[in-house]
Amino acid sequence: MAQGPSRAAGNKPERRLPHFALVDPLALQALEQGTAGVEFADVERELKAYVTALWRRTPPLRVLPGGGVEAARRTSFEGGIIRVPRAFRGWAGRSGRELFRAALAHVLAHLQFTPARFPLGGLKPVQVALVSLIEDARVEQLAIAQYPGLRRLWLPFHVADASDAVTAPALMARLARALIDPGYADPHGWVGKGREMFFADPSAWQEPGLSRTIGGLLGNDLGQMRVQFNARTYVVEPLYRDDHQGLWDLPTSTAPADVEALQESVRLEGRQQDSLGGGRASGDETANRATLVPAGREIGIPVARYPEWDFLIGRERGEWTTLVEYAPAQGQGETIEVVLERYPELVWRIEALIRAAKVSRPLRVRRQSEGDRLDLEAAIAAAIDRRAGLAPSAKVYARLERRFRDLSVLVLIDASHSTNDVIGAAGKSVLELERDAATLLGHAMDGLGDPFALHAFCSETRENVHYYRLKDFNEEWNATVKRRLAGLAGRFSTRMGAALRHAGRELAHRRSYRKLLLFISDGEPSDIDVADRRYLVEDARRAVLSLRQQGIDVFCVGLDAAGDGYLARIFGRGNVVQIDAVERLPEKLPLLYFRLAG
Amino acid sequence: MDIDEYRLRDEPYYRTIGDEVRLFEAAYAERMPLMLKGPTGCGKTRFVEHMAWRLCKPLITVACHEDMTASDLVGRFLLDAEGTVWHDGPLTLAVRHGAICYLDEIVEARQDTTVVIHPLTDDRRVLPLEKRGELVRAHPDFALVISYNPGYQSVLKDLKESTKQRFGAIDFGYPDAAIEAEIVAHEAGIDRAAADLLVAIGQRSRNLRGHGLNEGTSTRMLIQAGRLVARGIAIEAACQVALVVPITDDEDIRRALTAAIAALV
Repeated sequence: MAQGPSRAAGNKPERRLPHFALVDPLALQALEQGTAGVEFADVERELKAYVTALWRRTPPLRVLPGGGVEAARRTSFEGGIIRVPRAFRGWAGRSGRELFRAALAHVLAHLQFTPARFPLGGLKPVQVALVSLIEDARVEQLAIAQYPGLRRLWLPFHVADASDAVTAPALMARLARALIDPGYADPHGWVGKGREMFFADPSAWQEPGLSRTIGGLLGNDLGQMRVQFNARTYVVEPLYRDDHQGLWDLPTSTAPADVEALQESVRLEGRQQDSLGGGRASGDETANRATLVPAGREIGIPVARYPEWDFLIGRERGEWTTLVEYAPAQGQGETIEVVLERYPELVWRIEALIRAAKVSRPLRVRRQSEGDRLDLEAAIAAAIDRRAGLAPSAKVYARLERRFRDLSVLVLIDASHSTNDVIGAAGKSVLELERDAATLLGHAMDGLGDPFALHAFCSETRENVHYYRLKDFNEEWNATVKRRLAGLAGRFSTRMGAALRHAGRELAHRRSYRKLLLFISDGEPSDIDVADRRYLVEDARRAVLSLRQQGIDVFCVGLDAAGDGYLARIFGRGNVVQIDAVERLPEKLPLLYFRLAG
Repeated sequence: MDIDEYRLRDEPYYRTIGDEVRLFEAAYAERMPLMLKGPTGCGKTRFVEHMAWRLCKPLITVACHEDMTASDLVGRFLLDAEGTVWHDGPLTLAVRHGAICYLDEIVEARQDTTVVIHPLTDDRRVLPLEKRGELVRAHPDFALVISYNPGYQSVLKDLKESTKQRFGAIDFGYPDAAIEAEIVAHEAGIDRAAADLLVAIGQRSRNLRGHGLNEGTSTRMLIQAGRLVARGIAIEAACQVALVVPITDDEDIRRALTAAIAALV
């Protein structure tokens, strides 16, 4: 098979053949560009909304990889993911949209009414094709009973006609039409038989076994008619129907990349559960083992020494802690992209809030001592006060003001070992929830255009407080940042003070009117070289106080339900929000941010 | 001002969904301030009107907005040729004459405005008119009802804790399909089959809440569509006019809604 570029074919006819036979990938691409249909990317939002409205669910939609003829002509669904061709060639404008809609409506009918995959058993290819065909018709009839308008959507794509040649694909297309189009008459006996069996008892449509029975019988008949069926060239007709991959219990093979991405998240969860498996003691053991391996590779740069407050002597110990910055590990960027899909409703709410917050609407400020116009109400009130013998207020002016956002935010994430605890029914660890929350928050802050940084920390003794810069103020919210966020792992302890001081120093250099340090923590400050529980709490409190003196707002989101006492001690009662149901952190955090920054 | 102008003469149609009528009556008997929560157009205002009619009390409704000041509620001095004249605001009017005062969409008002209702909503039941130096004791029939839409904007706008905790609350939602169809059929004057279809359309659009729409189509919108149908407009065209175009400016969502409606018809 010739794979070379079409230009290279020159004058040699034998090399032009692959070009016109569309075997040559470049030729294919040229053809696809020439007859550009509606691209899936253009209609994705609309289709998602359509599916959500009618079926109340939003399965993930992906574009089928590759531009080959066979690979991208039919939709496909498997494992809850729907794959759609990038475009249906030659279907432009309105009909292109309708084709996508018809294709998705068909897949959703399967998702609703095909409860389980059919076992392949000893079925012949022709029987497989026919069972699938009957199953298609069955789910469509059930869907039409629910949504009568779908028949009008699907019918125009059934173009098979009684005058078509008597080949297996043509007969099957005619049967498909006969099973959905009541106004279609077909003289062929086989088609008539199929129709009769299918419509004999509409109440039997509820049973998927019906497809197996009728499809098997019709397959035998087709075999006896000596009509050739070639499974290799067979393509499902009409165009909007799926490729039947999702109907059968086949060994999975398609689209490895996506499956991998899905498995990746599963694997992550599995690993964390493993490390928690053997009770408390062995859990610590795993933690030690896990840190030994990367420690060899991980090289940190000590960047600063910070004092620590000793409440017993009432004095700061100078240069007591060493802060070491490490390059953050990189994970799978897709895990972060998936987060946004997992919370569609929340993303929508965030975007609505961004739109609302972005418009810098002029604000009428009333009762001012100076301004460019009179505040009539205040003026009347003043006149009345004068007559009543009271002292009138001089604040009788009003002016219009535009308020601009001028805010820098540093989000500091606690990545200590305790964040590996799996909580809630969702089976997610605290760290994963922190990551989801940070992703949504990043999405919100990026949308608002507020400069923000995303840092994380953990500590092993005062000599080594780990600090990770996931995103700096001058970095874009891009794929690299997302990979770093995905690579975040929970280890070691929580020495808050040093990390707070370092983050504060970073913020102090920002030239913003407001500076906000948002601290996400799941537990009490602790470290292995400190025995007194109060010591690190008092030090963190000291750090927060000094930041506040520098004009930095420090706000803490606590994930420890029992943390009321020490968190309020560190940050002050008004500056802590306790989230009792940690599962709801991703939902709460961005909304909390809007409140803090609004 | 004649308080009788605020009395309802004819019974406003209201279809009972649960035991909200009984709850309201009990709360009113105790003069407990009530908060009606629910999405827009689900029948909160109609319910209050119905209850005011049932209890034979005048009803004073105030639509709250963000520029509203306390004096818009309580009253103010106005200047005229002779001097300053005091005018009672709607709240004072209700307090003096024993009406039910209904503050619609209370969260829209600024928080410092809403605190004027505090002394009215505990056992003091008084309204101090600071400007006049008067303390108005509430008429025994006076009751306060507020409505509150816990929509997406409640992140930025919310009631003060101290305000919230003074009220009893009844939760409203869109009614079940059968009841909603009954309401639509009655209010729009269309047959039950058409009403059922409209309600099915409404429910599908509510699936898009948070996926492109801030709120799903309300019962009120469905009634509007029904009225157009009663005037002989085809159902798909009526839905375009009364549901799809008003609810969003987003082309993608409009197309999706139109297609979803086409699937149902």
